[in-house]
Amino acid sequence: MSGSEPSLLTGYPRKNGRWGFRNYILILPLHNVLNQLAEEVRLNHPAQSVITSVAHDWSGEIDSDWDRIHRVFSGFAVNPNVGATIVIGVGSAAEEEIVEAARAKREMPIAYLTLRDSGGFDNLRQRLMESVSEVFPLVASIKRESAPWSAIVLGLECGGSDAYSGITANPALGVASDKFVELGGTSILAETMEILGAEHLLAARAKTPEVGQAIIDVVARYERSITYEGIDIRGAQPSRGNIEGGLTTLEEKSLGAAKKAGNAPFTGVLDYAYLPTEPGLYFMDTPGHDIEQLTGFAAADVNITVFTTGRGTPTGSAVIPTIKAATNTEMATALPDLIDLNAGTIADGTETLAEVGARIFNEIIEVANGKLTAAEKGGHREFNLSRLYGSTQ
Amino acid sequence: MARVNSLIVLDARDNIAIALQELPVGMRIEQSDIASALEVQTVIPRGHKIALVDIAKGEAIIKYGERMGHAFAPILRGSHVHTHNVIGDRVSTEPTA
Repeated sequence: MSGSEPSLLTGYPRKNGRWGFRNYILILPLHNVLNQLAEEVRLNHPAQSVITSVAHDWSGEIDSDWDRIHRVFSGFAVNPNVGATIVIGVGSAAEEEIVEAARAKREMPIAYLTLRDSGGFDNLRQRLMESVSEVFPLVASIKRESAPWSAIVLGLECGGSDAYSGITANPALGVASDKFVELGGTSILAETMEILGAEHLLAARAKTPEVGQAIIDVVARYERSITYEGIDIRGAQPSRGNIEGGLTTLEEKSLGAAKKAGNAPFTGVLDYAYLPTEPGLYFMDTPGHDIEQLTGFAAADVNITVFTTGRGTPTGSAVIPTIKAATNTEMATALPDLIDLNAGTIADGTETLAEVGARIFNEIIEVANGKLTAAEKGGHREFNLSRLYGSTQ
Repeated sequence: MARVNSLIVLDARDNIAIALQELPVGMRIEQSDIASALEVQTVIPRGHKIALVDIAKGEAIIKYGERMGHAFAPILRGSHVHTHNVIGDRVSTEPTA
């Protein structure tokens, strides 16, 4: 099947060529004093089931990481899983810049309501309720259609890893990722600290020498930044616990994380929250922090994510359905409402990597087509800005 | 659930496999993704690696189809593959054994 043929996949077509697998009205507060208002309106509006919102701790400071903040908020506002966005702010030039950037990124309804223009909190609440009601019929009129494989922009993530991650859920996710890439979809591996030690192996899989060098450079930059802090990761890894668990070398440990991306060639390297421009496999330079990574994915048009976990991390995104794949059967059995899929059967010896890979592939399609994930049922809407430095204001 | 396999072979190119249970000395392992019956030579703890072929000193250890390090001592088929005979390729503290 090629990318242009209809498939068993369905989604919401967007005017910028992307596809959504959800069709939310997003309430995006751009100041932390408005977090509660966003949540309150989400919970009290009759259209509650299609509204999503986030909370964060930014209160308008402009530091040296302003570009990054600007890119994350404006990209998040136009994620393909969102049909319309209502930005609420206090009324500042920085907020206006973010809204303008979002409008330039995608043609879609984006309203901007401020505390200043509304004349206070109560009026802003009222206007926000009205704004959701106004945009609701428009969003509801967008219908699911048959989508090409290129609609898939898959985020690969792991958190709360254990000794089984590298032999069960991660390589099984790699099987599914490889299949989507082969069919013409996009897949993004991330977490720079986790590939340190295996970067030369990933670079060898780059489509061009430039992309290979970019993978090496991203890791070298990260390593310089931690060496500056007096930390020697190569010397300290694998840890004593890793060695007891059976890991012998740093390459081996890092490959265990990187195998979420299977064996496909790398098409490109992306800075944090930058968009992939053509289908293929990418590496994104992100922090290891689960939610910061997920937020960076959301700002980069990722529309579905698989998150492998050994401990049952409940994390979810406000805009991306996040499928949890357990690395071991014990945890999958103990925490059933946090887990969508058990890859621990590989370690039980009852299923092969290929079989679990096929199950993950099918689960991704079902979730894309509307099946709710455990994180969605649990109401997880985590959001974190990845700050380069602590606030100076 | 019935246990089917005692080992995971992560990639057909690999010269090691992962033990899914502690493997005692003398155990004979036959499963579809291993060329011929493998006899365990040294105790392999659960989650640890076992050599699928004889590996010479200096030879690469292949896991996931990729090079994860090399042997600094010869490793016999069926033996434990770990820090006592394998080291990463790029660690500066590598012993010159």
